[in-house]
Order: sequence, then structure tokens, then C-alpha cells
Amino acid sequence: MARDGQGDKAAKLWLRQQIRLGRRHQWPVVASGLLSILAASGQAVCAGRLLADALAPRTGAPPGYPAATLILCFASLGVARAALSFFSERAAWSAGAAARRRIRSDALGRLLHAGPSVLRGAHSGELAALVIDQVDALDGLFSRWAPAAVLAVLGPAVVACVVLFADPLAAFVLAVAGVFVPFGMAFAGIGAASASRRQFVALARLQARFVDRVRGIATIVLAGQATAEAGRLQTAADELRRRTMRVLRVAFLSSASLDLALAAALVLLAIRYGTGLARGTWSSPAAAMTVLLLVPEFFAPLRSFAAAYQDRLHAAGAAGPLATLPPLPAEPGPPARVRTVTASGVAVAFENVGLTWDPARGPALDGLSFRVPAGETLILAGPSGAGKSTAIEILLGFVRPDSGRVTINGADIAELVPQALARLTAWIGQRPVLFAGTIRDNIRFARPEASDREVEDAARSARVLEFANGLPDGLETRVGEGGYGLSGGQAQRVAVARAFLKNAPLLLLDEPTAHLDPATESEVLASLRRLAIGRTVILATHSAAAQAFGGGRRLDLRAGQAVSARGAA
Amino acid sequence: MSALVRIVRLWRGQAAWLALGLLVSLLSLAAGIALMTASGALVGEALLAGALVAPIVLRLLGVGRIVLRYAERLATHEATFRALASLRVWFFRKLAAGSAGGTGFRRTGEVLARLVADVEAQDGLYLRILVPLAGAIVLLPVLTVVIGARDPRLAAGIGACFVLSGFVLPGIASRLTVAAGGRITDAAAAMRVAGLDALTGLREVRAFAAEGRALASVQAREADLLHAQRTLADRAAVAGALALLSSQAAVLLVLAAAPADPATAVLAAFLVVAAFEAVAGLPRAGVLAGHAAAAAARILDVAEAPLAVPEPLAPRALPASHRLRFEKVSFRWLPERPAVFEGLNLDVPPGARIAVLGPSGSGKSTLAALALKVVAPDSGRVLLGDTDLAGLTAASLRTRMSWLSQTTHLFDDTIRANLLLARPDADETALWAALDTARIADVVRALPDGLDTWVGESGARFSGGQGRRLALARTLLSPAPILILDEPCAGLDAETERAFLQTLNDAAADRSVVLIAHRLTGVERLDRTYRLSAGHAVAAAA
Repeated sequence: MARDGQGDKAAKLWLRQQIRLGRRHQWPVVASGLLSILAASGQAVCAGRLLADALAPRTGAPPGYPAATLILCFASLGVARAALSFFSERAAWSAGAAARRRIRSDALGRLLHAGPSVLRGAHSGELAALVIDQVDALDGLFSRWAPAAVLAVLGPAVVACVVLFADPLAAFVLAVAGVFVPFGMAFAGIGAASASRRQFVALARLQARFVDRVRGIATIVLAGQATAEAGRLQTAADELRRRTMRVLRVAFLSSASLDLALAAALVLLAIRYGTGLARGTWSSPAAAMTVLLLVPEFFAPLRSFAAAYQDRLHAAGAAGPLATLPPLPAEPGPPARVRTVTASGVAVAFENVGLTWDPARGPALDGLSFRVPAGETLILAGPSGAGKSTAIEILLGFVRPDSGRVTINGADIAELVPQALARLTAWIGQRPVLFAGTIRDNIRFARPEASDREVEDAARSARVLEFANGLPDGLETRVGEGGYGLSGGQAQRVAVARAFLKNAPLLLLDEPTAHLDPATESEVLASLRRLAIGRTVILATHSAAAQAFGGGRRLDLRAGQAVSARGAA
Repeated sequence: MSALVRIVRLWRGQAAWLALGLLVSLLSLAAGIALMTASGALVGEALLAGALVAPIVLRLLGVGRIVLRYAERLATHEATFRALASLRVWFFRKLAAGSAGGTGFRRTGEVLARLVADVEAQDGLYLRILVPLAGAIVLLPVLTVVIGARDPRLAAGIGACFVLSGFVLPGIASRLTVAAGGRITDAAAAMRVAGLDALTGLREVRAFAAEGRALASVQAREADLLHAQRTLADRAAVAGALALLSSQAAVLLVLAAAPADPATAVLAAFLVVAAFEAVAGLPRAGVLAGHAAAAAARILDVAEAPLAVPEPLAPRALPASHRLRFEKVSFRWLPERPAVFEGLNLDVPPGARIAVLGPSGSGKSTLAALALKVVAPDSGRVLLGDTDLAGLTAASLRTRMSWLSQTTHLFDDTIRANLLLARPDADETALWAALDTARIADVVRALPDGLDTWVGESGARFSGGQGRRLALARTLLSPAPILILDEPCAGLDAETERAFLQTLNDAAADRSVVLIAHRLTGVERLDRTYRLSAGHAVAAAA
């Protein structure tokens, strides 16, 4: 669990900034909390006086206010408190929801903007967990911890002010007890916060081990180690418990400082009033009752704060990866236009292009140059790792070359805004991703404004209808997560239909048949051939069948360089 | 709720600690309430008769409260940690024994992680739900008896308020949560899918300039989820406010009774304030209980799923031969799904190296599942030697088979612990020999901690190729004579893949090898190649 200090620092900074951004939504929670504490104080005043007055006939003191007024007052303050509690809970929920919404949109926006390159460093599942689960884990920070932190200071101060009117000495006692709480925690060395942290870390560790073993359960079972591993899990949990409890035994001493402060204040004040009244040195039974009733109110915000510390820990755990997401650009790049984009198609040229993913493994492209005239097809051939996919990814704008120039109709693609580039190109990769939705939705993804008719035409041209008609709901069959599982060839045909629908002048095909068996491959190639008519096509492949695809232009790549060219490439 | 009861029953082994935690926390609660009540009584009696609650009693209660609170924290945490561990171990055993193999085979890591989150949802069950609930149950008779002895009508009124705020409203909150749970779970799942789609499909999203649409889709799902959550939060807030209101009503009853019997009123006022404060958190605990109950039902569903492959009643001894044969095997995962195999025949003689090729979705992994007895054929037989796998226990069969796939997991543990999983009694020499054969020994030797180096989560400390070699070393360490390699190179780049397969040629010299892949790279040394097609294995030119 070694963490680098720098990442921790970034996470802390990020959290502080987020709390600031969320402040606007927190003040209703704080305000209603304060009002509620005020109302409770008012109730204590009413109740104290009522009780004192009830006792008064026996002690001989005259009643102060009519009992009915006090009871009415108490009741209406009680109703107000209930209303405030409702309002405060709702406001707290809203503060958490607003923060989740803001941070989620920001995080997903950053990832979407950074584009496919983020998938080189992380699995999409991890990124989704970041955007979904980690953001959810921040909820308590905004809905509970941040308001509780403010109330832990202001709440006791308000109660102490009310007590000041009844008995200044009692206010002083409470103030001392209140200040003692954080000092007492610090004095015990570790603090209630730290007890909470130890406990949290222990749980997190146990949980991490458990998740790890559950994820690998097939490996364990097939190695015949299930029973032994269950034993080890138990041993690890026992050991962790023993170690954590050893620490908690000390750490809880400091948590006791809150109990100590409360008990001491209560006992001290009760004895002061009890003996004072009995001996006649204290004359106001109402004030005595009020102050005693206010003692728990004084400590309640401190207790809520201690309870909310868990939320802060959850948030700190989630903050690290969120704090280090790629930034959004300051401003969109300069707009640029391509000179011609329609009927005649587009011409593509690579001029001495170089790109290195990882210096340890050498360049992916090393001074690559070629030219594809409008409406022609170029086959990029060569073994895996020769740079075929990299060339295509540059044309898609997934990455930028380190050196050289890539032009479309003479315009440098570095100067094109991504949307303009996306309008020009259609792309089919090795394994298309099908989104959760119907087959129709998935085709329409290529051009959301397309009519049903156009979608069906595209589905027919790509031979999607051939298999879709055999499915229970035809084009309306749900695919993707939780839906019907399409085979690799069927998924690829959906991708071809997307390209048909998009009708872009430049078609980029990256090993579109790499995962297909020969029969399916030839079917998909036939569809692609129809799609290629009238377009500029770049097809990266090392399949012999696919290399017979085009009209003879072919470029062989090896280690990022062109080794032989056929046709005028 | 019955699911929660069953979870609590799993804690039988920890009953002593759980009971001790409960007892101490009840004593601590009693001390706290006695302290508050005695403080009030001290002042009240001073006014009435001068018959004091001795200050010494108050001091004792104060000290007692502090000590008991400390003891309560220790005891309840000890009990919680024990309960958590026993639940996790139980779940792990169930998952491993029951549907385990199949679950690990078919379900993705994300699904498993979600199940783990359901287990985690039980963490607050004891400390945040059961302990406060027990407090409320004990407080109710105390309240009614103490006050009822002086004023039965007042006691009845207060008791009614207490039942409302301590039991009825929390119960309603938990029911509402269970009812809303389905909607929230669905909405949350939809949002997760939208997020996963956008990120898995980043290439598609960029190629079709769909960034805005992808973001909007997640935001729309999020809005649905927030709407569902808001409805529940509102209702829970109402329950909380009503609980507060009923505690106010109880105090009001006391105050209204004050003129008639001030002595009782003073006592009751402080008692009621303290008692209701102790149960103030219960409506929230009710919401928590609702969540925990829904999660518990999901856990029990998985843990108690019937065995995918029943164990034989009279297991047969392992045959001497390790020839592996599929005879007219038919199989489908679910009755409504198309058949994966129909009359599949395949023969792997001892020491043979064969490859089974097929496109994705053709059932390649199912072949491994059948051989490892993770699933059983619908008809036909899988034989080891001349013995039907149905007659062998899974455990004994798996001593003959070693499995390596892209989903083979590297555990967040040391290299040594990862290797020993395959053969717990292996000595240092055997470990290094396996690492040598897998051509990863030099890398390990160069590490400062050698075999005791931590591999990180899913082997994060190593590159993809190195991680796969570590997994291979583990596979080779196992004495099993049959190696089943299910797409062992998926996710590796071409160069690494070829190097890995070349290592494999030399590594498994005297064992049977079944290599399952969607294509060959040309470097594999094979005796025979089969292609899967329409549920059959067709011999292909090697």
C-alpha cells in the first residue's frame, strides 16, 4: 500500500478545491442545522422554566410565565425543528447529488476529450469504476462531512451563547469542555480521527484481499486450492483484526475525551445547581434546568462530526485517481477547413511521419511517407507491430505524430478540429464495440439524425438484415451488455453498416477481418468492397484474403518504415 | 428482511463476542441515561425536599459512562471484525464450492466486484443496526416501567411515541428502501453500462465525434438514478422528521403533566430526552437495513446456487492414463441458447500437442470448461483414460489438469505465494526451475526482493508479457500431465505473443497440451490442429 506523497498531496489539494466548489450547496444544510440548534436551545429554555415553575409552588417562588404559553412555544419550536430536520436532510442530499453530478461530468468529459489514448494506460473497466463508483464514494464528503465540519464549530458556539444568558460560569465550563475535546484527542496521541482511519484502513485492506481472491476464484478453484485459500483468508483476517484492535485500544482512549468532556460538564453543573439550590446559594431553578438540558445539545454537533469522519476517509480514497485525470484543453484549437470534402473524395498524404509510443521499444513509425489519391484504395501490409494501426490512428486523430506531416486534401490534420476530421472519416477496427441498445440504435450511432429508412438501407447493404431477420426482434433486438450476444462476424457487419450510414469520403479499415474465420471474412470483405466504391480507402491488414481487396496499390511496412510499394503509393 | 436474519445466523461462531458487545453497549447506554436522569433529579429533588441524589452517585455514573463507552467501542469493534471476517470466508467457500468455477469462468471481474460490494453492505449490520435496535428494545420497558410506576397514563403516551420513533418509522424507512431498491439498482446499472460503453467504445466515440452524445447519455442515466434516489431520500427525510416530532410530543406530554406531579415530570423529562436521543439515529439505520437486506438477498442467491456439476456419489479412482477424449459431446449454456457443441469428438492422446481453433463465440472456452468439469455435457461423455469425468470428483480431476488462460489471475501477493498456489509443497529449487522454463527467472533474479517481490494488483508491477510468464511458471509448477491453454496470449502484442509461444514449445516437453486460440501465429509446435465449426471439431492441416 505504498503511496507516493506527491499523489497524496495532489489528492488533498483536489479535495479542498472540490469542497470549495461545493460550498454553494452546503450552506442550506449549515443554515438549517444552526437554526435547528437555536430552536432546540429555545426549547430547553421553555422546558427548564416550565419544570421550574411546576416545582415553584412547593419552593414558594412565583411562576414566571403562563404554562400554556410556554407549552405552545415548546410545541411550535418542536414542529419547527422537525421541519428543519426534513429540510436539512433534503439539502444534504442535494449537496451530495450536485457534487456527484458535477464531478462525474467533469471526469467523464476529461476522459472523452483525452480520447482512445487513455486506454493504453488503463483498462476501460477501471476507468468506468472511476467515473461511477469513485464518484459515488465522494457523496458523504459533501452531504455530511463538509456541513458537519462547519457545524462542529458554530453549533457549540451558539449553544454556549444561549447558556451565557442563563449562567455565565456554565458557559465557561462548556467552552472549556468543548475546547478540551480536540486537545484531548490530540493529547492521547492519535485522535478519534486516527482511530477512524485505522479502522478504515484495516477494513480496506481486508476488502482488497477479498476482492482479489474473489476475482481470481476460478484460478484458485482450478488449482484445487479453495479450502486452503479460505483458511488463509481467515488467518489474514484474524491477524489484521488483532493488529488493528491493538492500535484501536489506544486510539479509542482519545475518542473517550468526548465522553469525558460531556460527563464532566454534566456532573459538575448538576452538582453546582443541586447543592446551590439546596443551600440557597443558587436562586434560579429555571436556569439550572435549562443549562442541564442544553449540555447534550452542546456536544451533539461534535458527535456528528466525529461520525462523519468516515465519509471524509472514503472520499480521500477516491480522490487520488480523480485528481490526476488528464486536463481539459484551455480553448479549442484554431478552426480549419478542408478545401474539398464531397463528391470527388479526399486525397491523403503522409510526409516523413514519425511516432514513438514508448522509447524503450523504438519508434512505431519512422519517417513514413505515402500518398493516396482521391477515390483510390491503399493496402497497408506487414506483420503486427509494423506500424499499420498507428498510421490509421493518426488519421483518426487518436494520436498526433511526433514529426512529419499528415495531410488531407493538402490540409495538415493537426490543424483540423476533431469534429471536422470525424466528419470526413469512417472507421472499422478489429473488434467493434456494440453499445447497450438495439441493433438499430447501434447503426444509427454513426449518424444520429439518419431516418429509419436510411438505417435500414445501411443494414441491408452491410448484410445485417440477413442475420437480424433471424433474431427474435429483428433490428430491434437488444445487443451489447445484457443483450443478445452477436458473433464476431455479425458485430463486424454492424460496424460496416455504421460506415455505410455515415457515408464519409475516407474509409479507414484496421484489420477488419483479423478475428473472423475464412468464410465470414470473405462475406465481410464483399460488403466492404461495395462500401469502398467511390471512396478513398486505407486498409491495414496482414490477411492474404484481405490483401486481394483493392485495386493494386500496396505498401509493405516493417518497423515503421515502408519497405516496398506497389502501385503509385 | 429474512435474508438479514440468515446473514446474522452465519455469525453463530462469533456469538459470544457479539453478545458481549451487545451487553456492554446496553450497559453503557444505561449509564448514559442514568447520568442524565440523575443530573436532573439532583436539581429537582434539591428544590422539592433537599433529599439529594448523592453527588457521589453522579460522579460514579459519570466515570462508569466513560469506562463503559470505551469498553463498548472495543467489544463492538472486536465483534464487528470477527463477523466481517466470518461472512467473507463463508461467502468465499460458497462461491468456490457451488457455482464457483462457473462463476469465475463466465462472469466478468466487474460482476464479481459488485457481489463483493454486496458483502461489504453487511458491514454496518451489527454496529449500526443491531446494536441500536437492541438499545431501543431494552429502553422501551425501562421507560414504561420507571414512569408507569408513578403515572401510568403518562407512561402509555410516552411509550406510544417511543414505539413510533424507535420501531415503526425505522421499519417504514427500511421497507421504503427495499421497495425503491429495485428501481435504484436498475438505474444504477443503466448508468454503469452507459459509462462502460462510452469508455470501452472510446475509439468509436472519437471516430464518430460522439463525445457530446456519450456524455449526454451518461448524464441522462445519472439523472434517472438521482431522481430515484431523491424520491427515497425525501421519504427517509419525512420518516426522520416524524421520528423527531414524536420525540417532541413525548417531551410535551411530560411538560404538560408537570404542574400535577412536578417530581415525576423532572425525572421523566431528563429520562425521555436521553432515551429519545439514543434512538434518534434509528430511521437512518432503517434505510441502511433496507439496503443491507437487498444486498443480502443477492449474496444468498449466488452463494446458494446449486452446483453446476454435481459430484459423483461413489467417486471412482483416477485412471492411470491421461488420454483426454470427447465423445459425441453436446452442450448449451442455457436451454434457450443455441448449442455450442453438437456431437463433438476430440482425442488428445498422452503427450500430444493439439490446437483447437475457432472464431470467438464458437465455444472454445466451453471446451476448457468441459475438460475441467466446470460444466457437464448435456449428452455424450468426456473421458480421462477410460473413465467418464462424471465419475471423478472435481478435486481429483484437477490434479491432472493445469489451466492457463487470459483470465488466469495473478494475486496481489508475493511471486512465491502466487507460484505456490499450483503446488504448495514446492521447494525453492522447483520454483526457480519453473521460472527458468517460463523464461522469467532472470527478471525475478534481478529484483531486489527476488521471489518475495509483491506482484501488485493483477500483476500490475509487471508488463503484460511478464505477467503471463509468471502465470505460465505457476502452471508449469503444477505436476498435472495435461495443460489446457485457453487463449493464453490474448491481449499481448504480436512480438510478445510469438516469444511466449516459442517458450511454450520447449516448456511443456512431456505433457499433453491443448492450445485453444482463434488463430495460429506459425511458431507453435503442434501434432494436430482442429477447427471448431458448427459445434464440431474438424481436423485441419497442421
